[in-house]
Amino acid sequence: MARYTGFHAPNRTLAIYAAVFAFVLYLPILFIPIFSFNSGVYVKFPLEGFTLQWYVDLFNREPLKAAFWNSVKIAATVSLLSTVIAVPAALAIARYRMPGKAPAVSFMMLPLVLPGLIMGVALLGLLNRLGVTLSLVTVTIGHMVICLPYAISVLLPRFVGFNRSLEEASADLGEPPLRTFWRVTLPCNYPGILACMLMTFTISFDEYFMAFFLSGPKSTLPMYIWGQLRFPQDFPSLLALSTLILLFSFALIFTSLRLSKVGQTAQTGAQK
Amino acid sequence: MDVLDQLGAVREGKLSRRAFNRSLFAVGISTVMMPVLPRRALAAPEDHATWFTWGGFDIPDYFDEYVAKRGELPNFSTYGSAEEALNKLQSGFVADIAMPCMTDVPRWSETGLFQPIDTSRLSNWPDIMPDLWNVPYNLKDGKPWLVPWEWGQTSIVYRTDLFELQGEESWDMLWDQRYAGRLGMLGGGGDAWWCAAIKAGVPFDQIHTDEAFEKISAVLREQRPLIRVYSDDTTSTDTALAAGELVACMAWNSSAVSLIGQGVPVKFAKPKEGALTWVCGQMLHAQAPNLDSAYDILDSLMSEAASAALIGGSGYGGSNRKAYDRFTDDELAALGLSRNPLEILEAGHLGIPQTAEWDRRMTETWEQIKLGF
Amino acid sequence: MTHAAGQSLRVARPSALVRFLHRHEGWRGYLLMAPALLLMAAAIIFPIGMTLVMSTWSLSGYDMVATPGLGNYTAMAEHPMFRVLILRSLTIALTCTAVTVLLCYPMAYFVAFHGGRHKAMWLIVMTLPFWTSYLLRVFAWKVVLGYEGVLNTGLIGLGIVDEPIAALLYSQTAVTIVLAHSWAAFALLPIYVSLEKIDRSYLEAAADLGDGPMKRFWRITFPLSLPGVVAAFIMMFVPTVGEYITPAMVGGPDGMMIGNLIQAMFGPMNNWPAGAALAVVMMLTIGLAGLVFVVLDRLLRR
Repeated sequence: MARYTGFHAPNRTLAIYAAVFAFVLYLPILFIPIFSFNSGVYVKFPLEGFTLQWYVDLFNREPLKAAFWNSVKIAATVSLLSTVIAVPAALAIARYRMPGKAPAVSFMMLPLVLPGLIMGVALLGLLNRLGVTLSLVTVTIGHMVICLPYAISVLLPRFVGFNRSLEEASADLGEPPLRTFWRVTLPCNYPGILACMLMTFTISFDEYFMAFFLSGPKSTLPMYIWGQLRFPQDFPSLLALSTLILLFSFALIFTSLRLSKVGQTAQTGAQK
Repeated sequence: MDVLDQLGAVREGKLSRRAFNRSLFAVGISTVMMPVLPRRALAAPEDHATWFTWGGFDIPDYFDEYVAKRGELPNFSTYGSAEEALNKLQSGFVADIAMPCMTDVPRWSETGLFQPIDTSRLSNWPDIMPDLWNVPYNLKDGKPWLVPWEWGQTSIVYRTDLFELQGEESWDMLWDQRYAGRLGMLGGGGDAWWCAAIKAGVPFDQIHTDEAFEKISAVLREQRPLIRVYSDDTTSTDTALAAGELVACMAWNSSAVSLIGQGVPVKFAKPKEGALTWVCGQMLHAQAPNLDSAYDILDSLMSEAASAALIGGSGYGGSNRKAYDRFTDDELAALGLSRNPLEILEAGHLGIPQTAEWDRRMTETWEQIKLGF
Repeated sequence: MTHAAGQSLRVARPSALVRFLHRHEGWRGYLLMAPALLLMAAAIIFPIGMTLVMSTWSLSGYDMVATPGLGNYTAMAEHPMFRVLILRSLTIALTCTAVTVLLCYPMAYFVAFHGGRHKAMWLIVMTLPFWTSYLLRVFAWKVVLGYEGVLNTGLIGLGIVDEPIAALLYSQTAVTIVLAHSWAAFALLPIYVSLEKIDRSYLEAAADLGDGPMKRFWRITFPLSLPGVVAAFIMMFVPTVGEYITPAMVGGPDGMMIGNLIQAMFGPMNNWPAGAALAVVMMLTIGLAGLVFVVLDRLLRR
């Protein structure tokens, strides 16, 4: 069914606002690719000259690549697991009357209030007492703890207003609850869930404190970058990596959008 | 669905959105779960010790001897500041070797996390310059807590084109009212307090007195309105100097080397009152799990090759006196070093380790001054 | 035939557990929440507990003396530094959260109502910048806000000012601007989520009954989106108060926030009990501010 915007006439002002907003959002980011091609080491104007040297350097910097992949793995895992745990939790909060619900929810939101530094130190102490060796797994757990409140916060407004008649219809038609969830609830709330996954991925990918305290010998990308700040010469390679991440993400989205459009024409084609 | 089938389906426009999403999902998961391609030298097995050090030092250049003996590099773990490192260690993280500076020794050694180093196990020890390790608080029963690895100077780096010198180079430059809001200072008390002591005319052997505290605090408070940034983040301060955001900044000799190398018109000042000299090195964890490997790391770091790599690569002085023979006098002078490191060490003021209480008092006062109180 | 049909229609009696859950809503709810609750319980109780306990300790030499006492708290009440920093942190957090939420709302509205088929794309495009490293973004901001940076050069070029504005960088203004930008995605997403789920039929009904676009917005869309706005506000305000990296990098001497002091206490000053006490005070302050929001939220829902 095509989205009915009917009386929502394309609002010119709003569209311009959106464009300006996107521009301001991206403006500082754009300097990252710009300076990644700059032959000067320092991030300042005027630009000195064009070079691909920093990109070449990237390929030789094993610790940087390792840190990057560690971050990707952790962020993806955190994103997936947090969403998987947060969706039932948010559903429960939105729908069921539970004794002690409000305190339970406030309790789960607590990591938002604690400074990352303290959580990191304290969790390290806890893991130490439990005799757990530090590794990327411990970082993942630490990140999940931080991401869960965000995940639930994003999902909750969505589930609160969700029209349950669709689910009831599905149940009436004989679907067991789990399949109703899978085939009705999930797809209808897909923008919210996507938002949740994006947010948790972003948080984890960029998180420094928990990662520093809970990591063993392997480091994550933010840790690596933070450690490189004392060495100006090595800085532009970081800009190069960031640029590549941006480019890759854009390419991914562009491709998936093109291909999903393909799916749509296929369906309309089949209907003919 | 098979990959080829899928591609064919895409081409013919028959791929349903669902199937496509499913395969994207699968691709995504498998990419992420794919093990990182084996990294040869850096994938070290369990029985290597861990060197917990500044990010940027975790490179093979210092480990020729170690690799020759053990075949692989040791494990590395990095940090961005010594404070975070100590935090992590105090919270239970165990690394065989950590890298503080000499003025940190009283504080670090009293935590009980470290053990003195048995220098008889280090073959390169005789080549290490004694002035770097034979200082108060460093020796326990004749064994040092910290084996020195690098040394350098803290002075002023200033833009020769933007800063108009009045007379000789001096610490007064950082108190110059003409450039209010364009001056920078290092953030750590380990540098700032001592340089302020030089400016205030407090001799280092008096630095623990109450009078010294008053004088130095006064001088630092007086300076605060002029300061644009207090930071240990070399990339930021160097960039600021290069951009003209700062015209003068307290900095380490490596900053000058790096800026000059990029063609920025700066100079590493030789203040008439003398610069601050510092020494940093390695300390051994009390419960180091891989003691033999740890001593091999230490030995390798103390080697001539490692020291030379340090000098050539970063501009900091190495602690092995033989390493200096590898450089010409000009090269050393350009780096702010010399063949006879002692003369530089003596021309400057070497920071003397103080008691733990002094350290706390100094840091508290300094942090308060920085915040404006 | 009928026999087979009868067999296929017969549904097995659900197990006792399923029946129990069916009747007791509360248990169902908690079961769904169980994984989240367990994880958080394990990971929060200890840190918060430890922080509280440690805040009552004091220092002697380098050891922490474990006798409980309120020494750290009284010290904080006496010295003006803490009050100033907490107030400053609250102000900066409030300002940049308000600005960000205000600016992000129209954007979220645009994506929710005018996004059409490209909603997912817009969402991703909006979050993409935040996949670059936080630190690098702050560096990029230094280029924009610096003394000879983009903004200053532009302003001078346009003739608006004669000299570069030094207060654009290494100041509280800089912290506010950079924080607002850094958290934009986190403010955008909740607002978008709550706008998106608004049933369009309400709006159609209102249009049919004669309401113009502005009226429709203020009477239907805005109130229904408030939960998302409040969520965005809280989600951004709370962590911003305790921010540490941005003030350290662009705050300058006067832009330091409470997070920097806590870090200084855990770090160079090595006074963990005092740091813990300060963290407790910070948490309480945020808690109080949060209560205000929750009360507002309740009032608004009526």
